[in-house]
Amino acid sequence: MTESLTRREMLRRSGLGFGLLGLAGAMQSNGLLAAEAGAARAPHFTPKAKRVIFLFMNGGPSHVDTFDPKPGLKQREGQKPSGEPDRKAKAGFVPSPFAFRAHGKSGVVMSELFPNLARRADDLCVLRSMHTDVPNHEPGLVLMHSGTQQPTRPSMGSWVSYGLGSENENLPGYVVLAPRRPVVGPHLWSSSFLPGAHQGMAVTTTDMRVEKLVANLNHPTLDRAKQREQLDLLGSLNRLHLENRARDAALESQIRAMETAFRMQTTAAEAFDVGREPAGAREMYGTSLFGQACLLARRLSERGVRFVQVYYLAPGDNQPWDTHADNDNRHRKLCADSDRATAALLTDLKQRGLLDETLVVWGGEFGRTPYAQPATKGAHGRDHHHTGFSMVLAGGGVKGGMMYGATDEVGMHAVENRVHVHDLHATILHLLGIDHERLTYRFSGRDYRLTDVHGRVVRDVIA
Amino acid sequence: MTARRLALLAALWLPVLGLAAARAGEPREQVDFFEGKIRPALVTHCYSCHSAGAKKVRGGLRLDTRDLARKGGDTGPAVVPGDPAKSLLLQALRYGDLKMPPDRKLPDAVVKDFETWIKSGAADPRESVAAAPPPAPLDAEAGKRFWAFQPPQSHPAPAVRDGANALRKIDAFLLARLEQAGVEPAPPADRRTLLRRVTFDLTGLPPTPAEAEAFVNDPAPDAYEKCVERLLARPAYGERWARFWLDVARYAEDQAHIVGDDKSLTYPNAYLYRDWVIKALNDDVPYDRFVTLQLAADLVESPASPNLPALGFVGLGPKYYDRGRLAVMAEEWEDRVDVVGRGLLGLTVACARCHDHKYDPIKTEDYYGLAGVFASTKLYNRPLAGAKGTEDAKQPKDAMHVVREGTPTDLAVFLRGDVNSKGAVVPRHFVSVLSDTSAKPFRQGSGRRELAAAVTDRHNPLTARVIVNRVWAAYFGRGLVATPANFGALGERPTHPELLDDLAVRFMDGGWSLKSLHREIVLSAAYRRSSSTEYSVRSTQTDPQNLLLAHMPRRRLGVEAWRDAVLAASGRLSRAVGGQSLDPLDPKEARRTVYSRVSRLELNRLLALFDFPDPNVTADRRVETTTPLQKMFVLNSPFMVAQAEALAGRLAAEVPGDDGRRIDAAYRLLYGRAPGDAETRLGREFLSRGADRKARWPQYAHVLLAANEMMFVD
Repeated sequence: MTESLTRREMLRRSGLGFGLLGLAGAMQSNGLLAAEAGAARAPHFTPKAKRVIFLFMNGGPSHVDTFDPKPGLKQREGQKPSGEPDRKAKAGFVPSPFAFRAHGKSGVVMSELFPNLARRADDLCVLRSMHTDVPNHEPGLVLMHSGTQQPTRPSMGSWVSYGLGSENENLPGYVVLAPRRPVVGPHLWSSSFLPGAHQGMAVTTTDMRVEKLVANLNHPTLDRAKQREQLDLLGSLNRLHLENRARDAALESQIRAMETAFRMQTTAAEAFDVGREPAGAREMYGTSLFGQACLLARRLSERGVRFVQVYYLAPGDNQPWDTHADNDNRHRKLCADSDRATAALLTDLKQRGLLDETLVVWGGEFGRTPYAQPATKGAHGRDHHHTGFSMVLAGGGVKGGMMYGATDEVGMHAVENRVHVHDLHATILHLLGIDHERLTYRFSGRDYRLTDVHGRVVRDVIA
Repeated sequence: MTARRLALLAALWLPVLGLAAARAGEPREQVDFFEGKIRPALVTHCYSCHSAGAKKVRGGLRLDTRDLARKGGDTGPAVVPGDPAKSLLLQALRYGDLKMPPDRKLPDAVVKDFETWIKSGAADPRESVAAAPPPAPLDAEAGKRFWAFQPPQSHPAPAVRDGANALRKIDAFLLARLEQAGVEPAPPADRRTLLRRVTFDLTGLPPTPAEAEAFVNDPAPDAYEKCVERLLARPAYGERWARFWLDVARYAEDQAHIVGDDKSLTYPNAYLYRDWVIKALNDDVPYDRFVTLQLAADLVESPASPNLPALGFVGLGPKYYDRGRLAVMAEEWEDRVDVVGRGLLGLTVACARCHDHKYDPIKTEDYYGLAGVFASTKLYNRPLAGAKGTEDAKQPKDAMHVVREGTPTDLAVFLRGDVNSKGAVVPRHFVSVLSDTSAKPFRQGSGRRELAAAVTDRHNPLTARVIVNRVWAAYFGRGLVATPANFGALGERPTHPELLDDLAVRFMDGGWSLKSLHREIVLSAAYRRSSSTEYSVRSTQTDPQNLLLAHMPRRRLGVEAWRDAVLAASGRLSRAVGGQSLDPLDPKEARRTVYSRVSRLELNRLLALFDFPDPNVTADRRVETTTPLQKMFVLNSPFMVAQAEALAGRLAAEVPGDDGRRIDAAYRLLYGRAPGDAETRLGREFLSRGADRKARWPQYAHVLLAANEMMFVD
């Protein structure tokens, strides 16, 4: 059997499902290519976006208080919605106390909680007709991350890393930033059956000192010159070993990975160090955990990290947007922080000329009920709500200044141009130049994809 | 004219043809109603998923011909003339249990039109012009002709020219193919290389320098055979091979979701199962019994049996959030069916959960026949002491996974996997294509005992082949079937079918002894060959993937053997067998890596970094990746720094004399050989440079631990 036959064998399989891109991964996992995850791979078609930054509002922000104004709630205040369980909808509809206004040339509407983002209105594409399958955090989170409710599939970031590889072989392709563990936890960035190199590198952002952020970044005692000496000896010994072994490609790839690791110590030390940002930039993002993580996300994205996920968590709360009580005040605080950091990120990316090729996604696992949830003490909250909610896209080839789709007059159900989570996934992959039906991985006897058998690209939002 | 345009034209003409073909007896005005109101709505809203032109026909339903619409899809007839209540199409348009079109309900007026149309007899002039041929029937008898469903046969050893090189029967099969291809096998590996190879393979540890010297200098003609027996008798053998099995068993100690601090679904005593596997392998429990105990120890053993922890194979599986709901339990049953299907049978039975298997003769009924067994089985935790309680353990730390008979329940097929669309009830039974006669229903309780009997039946064509192939793959880097968990139509075909079958038959005939299987492989000439490709240019040219095994493949150590080897070198390795789980990253933790805590929630960073499989599903094989983050661990982690210091300290304490003698000792300890001149020179130079001579040794030791030779076996 010849090398070309082997490749043909691979291509035969590719006809059975390995997409064009997946082929690179498939050959890797079969040992036909040196199994280095770093190399960038060609997309299916010309991409609009090269990278993604996903700002995740854990717990589920309230759409009727943020991006989906519902004056109808005022008229129907106190009325109970039809079709909802009584125990859930005891208190009836309650209007948002926040004023909504159109902004920018395009007139994108948002509530007064986003004074900074309002200035970026013409860059935003607000999806007002999102819907998902369940109103529970765990399955909702897993679905939003991996396209299924059970924790058995790779995350979107892993798929993207697998499909496109990394733009910078001295940095990981998929980085996850969070001050603590979110609900569900590491499965949200799991590579599952995809090769382990595609799992998200989890970075805890409570302490932004670079040596705290990245494990094993530096030798505990040796300086760089001493370690270089070590590596020179190691290189010599490894090459002697290699020479007696017919230049085995697997051994060579180990040698290369070692040198990359040595370089990564410098690249990562630089990339992960927000202390190198001028004071003005740090100020613009805000000094909150989320603000500083957004700043770090920009640094990583700018240096070629393909997928950065930033979780909005608080030190004592792993889903702060889950406002079952005191919804209004808590949204006021949360939005102030999120607004500032998100707007700063968009402004910063734009100023650097990166917004066009960086897709920013803002949203949670679902929305919140347009009706009130009575609290045992204090002000009312809003409950989980999955049949209609909002998400925001910006940059990366989406139409700016757009509001897409609609919920009904009280914000209960998405009714116009509905966008399911699978559709969002298909659209994100499309913007990256990936056909969601062709990015597949053969596992356990069949070809898996992020969107399973679902997903429709929302072409209307693509510039 | 392009094919596409032809198709377009044809589509435009179809309505006309349809009209022309309108059947006598259908009133003109009703046909007009259909053409004016119904057909346009069908074309606009339904055809993209329910017609011959659909990229993929959904739900088995086509609405583009009269007959197919009346026949309906998976859930039943879509159109029943005159009976709107029985017409599922109308129910779906009304957004009842079914909701179609999926993205938005059609305007009420359109739905009303459909109701009128059906009430008035559903006149429909469309002939079945584009009916696709029905899918080939998945008949188990016909399907049995596929190689994997034929019982394996023993074969006589093929005649070979190079008889002296055929040490074992498997060699004859391999040599015959090499001779046929005109490829010369590589010569045997030298004794040091062979000893390092076989010691890692059988025990997951390197040989000690003393063992190496003894073996190299042993003049006995059966020195190697004696060495193999010694290794097979060590407890380390069970520790090594248990890990291979635990990959298959998706062994873990918790769940991928843990809600809040709820620990009720975690398995703090899962290690009892791991310890049982280690002991069973060391005792060489026959594989058929090994499997039976893991599926049904509660049914074949006494209540006081020490074999009850074996049930971890079933009882330590994933449990999902909100369990108890039918949809969630359906997911759990899929896990159990999958671990039996792919894990034990090499068959993707779980593919048949939503539809008959697309490529293998496995029907949805086969899937639900197996799922019913697990639906009839209860899993819970029970306090270790006081073995009477049947409720969930109040104190999870005391709990052991219990698998017990539940109420025997036959499941209805869930159409398209949807728990709300129930089809016919299926008796619990084994996969038909693997059954001798048509699969008999299981009658005893849940049916687990009968399931175990069916899996381990002498006439089951897959079980022996699958385990033999898995063991083979562990040695040669690739199975005789390269897809160890898929022997079906989409899996690979065996490279040496007679060899696989003969090995499987002898495995069963020899009492399903895994140790005998290991013996057969490691005593073969094929296993003893050099891994160098330089002996046979022809081999690398004509067989670059080394499918014919002209030489041994060079292999990378898995994370377990690699970490253990580092600990063995530093002198810290503990040989304590069994016990609670540990954190393999802890620099002070000296027990073997097989004892690592395995979490579905958050896999240990070291394990995750070095390609440990996802413990949420049965692993078909390990994928190897090479990443800079792995190397940052090797260079900088507290674990590696601690081991380097320990190694340097050990050499200083154990080897009197100068750097040269210590370098020599280090090479023997780490790589099982003496250093070459260049290596000694490089080492001396490194050690003599720099102001702080004393600090050099740990740095040097670290380099030796980080080297490729530490991670690869020739």
